[in-house]
Amino acid sequence: MRWDFASVFDNTDALLVGAAGTLRIFAICLVLGLSLGLLVGLGRYSRNRWIHIPATIFVEFFRNTPVLVQILWFYFALPILLPFQISPLVAASLGISLNSAAFSAEIYRGGIQSIETGQWDGARALGMRWGQAMRRIILPQALKRMLPALTNRAIEIFKMSTLASAVAYVELLQQGKLIASLNYNPIEAYTAVAVIFFVFLWPLVQFSYFLERRLKRDE
Amino acid sequence: MAYQWDFSPVLANAPLLVEGLVNTLRVTGTALVFGVALGLVLALLRLSPRRYLSWPAGFVIEVFRTTPPLVQLFWFFFALPILVGIEMTPFMAGAVTFSIQSASFFAEVFRAGIQSIERGQWDGARAIGMRHDQALRRIILPQAVKRMIPAFMERAIELMKTTTLIATISYADLLFAANEVSQKTFRPLETYTVVALIYFVVIFLASQVARLVELRLARSGESTVH
Repeated sequence: MRWDFASVFDNTDALLVGAAGTLRIFAICLVLGLSLGLLVGLGRYSRNRWIHIPATIFVEFFRNTPVLVQILWFYFALPILLPFQISPLVAASLGISLNSAAFSAEIYRGGIQSIETGQWDGARALGMRWGQAMRRIILPQALKRMLPALTNRAIEIFKMSTLASAVAYVELLQQGKLIASLNYNPIEAYTAVAVIFFVFLWPLVQFSYFLERRLKRDE
Repeated sequence: MAYQWDFSPVLANAPLLVEGLVNTLRVTGTALVFGVALGLVLALLRLSPRRYLSWPAGFVIEVFRTTPPLVQLFWFFFALPILVGIEMTPFMAGAVTFSIQSASFFAEVFRAGIQSIERGQWDGARAIGMRHDQALRRIILPQAVKRMIPAFMERAIELMKTTTLIATISYADLLFAANEVSQKTFRPLETYTVVALIYFVVIFLASQVARLVELRLARSGESTVH
């Protein structure tokens, strides 16, 4: 068996289109997932039952079902209840974003709870309201502690973006499939896709190790 | 627009879904057994002072932790069989992928567990005349494993969620059965909802057990690693 990557390089354009698709869905899910996660995380922290209970159900449901099931549900099941079609990008983004929101909500909650009550008392003594204390005192300190875990979430989101290929969204793995089926070169095509993902993710993973070491040293 | 929900066509196909769930548990169980065993081997190799052992182990762990599992699965299913000239069933491809993938995560759990044991335990074992492997087997691992249990259970639950990917290479797991039933009954909404709920119940129960075990370990004053 001879390896021949020429047939993969001939399709660089297709891979670039795929990489753009991967980066697009990654960016969408990163922004939506982490910001929605903050809302849900604060909701779980709330003393108001009407906020606290739905937030908890949301987190438990999305943490305890597989992302691929969520994506397929949004793609095949949800449109029946809606008067319009759902595109592969929307279905995959919904699944991955809501799943990431549930996981990051737990990171935010843990981070906020790890801040000593003295910080709250101090903020209150200076006359800050709850929202001000949260924004100016608690969150900035908590974010530093949460950074390694949030970076890991980002890495997970990047990896999860490949699941969008299951609903035929054009991203790197989907383009790898296409190249493999057109050129009968699955070995080279899938190896190339794996290498591209490794190249994208390796620096991010090293960065998360660095953050973890720094946090361990500082605390 | 009021949609008429009707679960009866889905319930009529319950045997297909049950078979799918059994297959899901089969893949999960297989990958769990091989993943834990291989993970221990990888961890011990990575902790070895000999570089020609620790570097390859570190490489395997990093590659499988860094690349998406679906890409790995496609590589093992479509590329590897041509490379080594063997037939690969979807089950085999899934079992191999998820075993190695979860092994690379289990390896890091083992490593953290072993490294969390105080040096004094090694010194004590050595002082009563144990060799390195004896100390590891009799003194270090039994203590380390106890601290690793919560992280292990969490990983096992992640593994079960990951096995849904095997549906994309047409192995008849629960998610694949959902696809089949929804096409047969033209009831995707009910089918996918039921299947999502089945996954939720099984995984939620497993999570609750993991939570209880962690609480008990915490109460007995045992520290844990993640």
